[in-house]
Amino acid sequence: MGFKKLLTKKMEFSASHRYWNPGWSEEKNISVFGKSAGPYGHGHNYSLELTVEGEVDAETGMIINLYELKSVMKDVLRGFDHKHLNDDNPHFKDLVPTTENIARVLWDLLEEKLEDNPRCSLYRVRLYETHDLYVDYWRK
Amino acid sequence: MSLTKTYRFSAGHRLYIKELSEEENFRIFDTCSNPNGHGHDYYVHVKVAGDIDPESGMILNLQELDETVNIVIDELDHRRLDIEVPYFEVNQPTGENIAKYMWERIKPDLGDKLIHLKLSETSNSYFEYYEEDNYPYER
Repeated sequence: MGFKKLLTKKMEFSASHRYWNPGWSEEKNISVFGKSAGPYGHGHNYSLELTVEGEVDAETGMIINLYELKSVMKDVLRGFDHKHLNDDNPHFKDLVPTTENIARVLWDLLEEKLEDNPRCSLYRVRLYETHDLYVDYWRK
Repeated sequence: MSLTKTYRFSAGHRLYIKELSEEENFRIFDTCSNPNGHGHDYYVHVKVAGDIDPESGMILNLQELDETVNIVIDELDHRRLDIEVPYFEVNQPTGENIAKYMWERIKPDLGDKLIHLKLSETSNSYFEYYEEDNYPYER
């Protein structure tokens, strides 16, 4: 039986967002999203925990070089950190920036960056919006 | 994909079998059988899963989740479980039974979306409750 090898790196970012579906009336937006529909947005300190799986390289002893992983994550988060997601990040032009959707977008962006690495693949994106709320996103 | 939200409540309890002597209770339950009870800060991690609703961007509206879970939190918070909550007058208020009770109270509202419930009693002990057949994730 083989062993599963996972590595998780955490990185924080701060962003503001507004939950708003332009196809809905103001009343419906407020009834579904509550305070999160406020016109000027509000912010969170998000914490991204990226887990990759792969084989341990015999020479380096690593699944992936952490410096490489760190720079990939930093690169991706540049579009998120200290931004207003609805206004500053094109992925959320027509997509409500819920924790669920942010996690999915992050998966897509991270997967694209790590595609060329033959030894490791994405296993899970865990995104904390606050200390008591997180979303897990994964795809086979 | 899944979403996990953490709730907290504080409650007192005593583990005790009425039919047994104090000595026997102490032998089984140790300090948890202290006659005047003791308490914990419990943390409950409720995990729901499903597809993202394309209009709201959510698996489940958090306001609805809060309403459902807070009904049972309010029943337990700042209570002496084995005296003030009928279920625990007949079932030991152990972490296992509290997790099961909470699951059964919130399951009717959350349906198949509810896939996992974890109850932390202290920073050293937690209990998990879920249906094996309805837990397709290894996470």
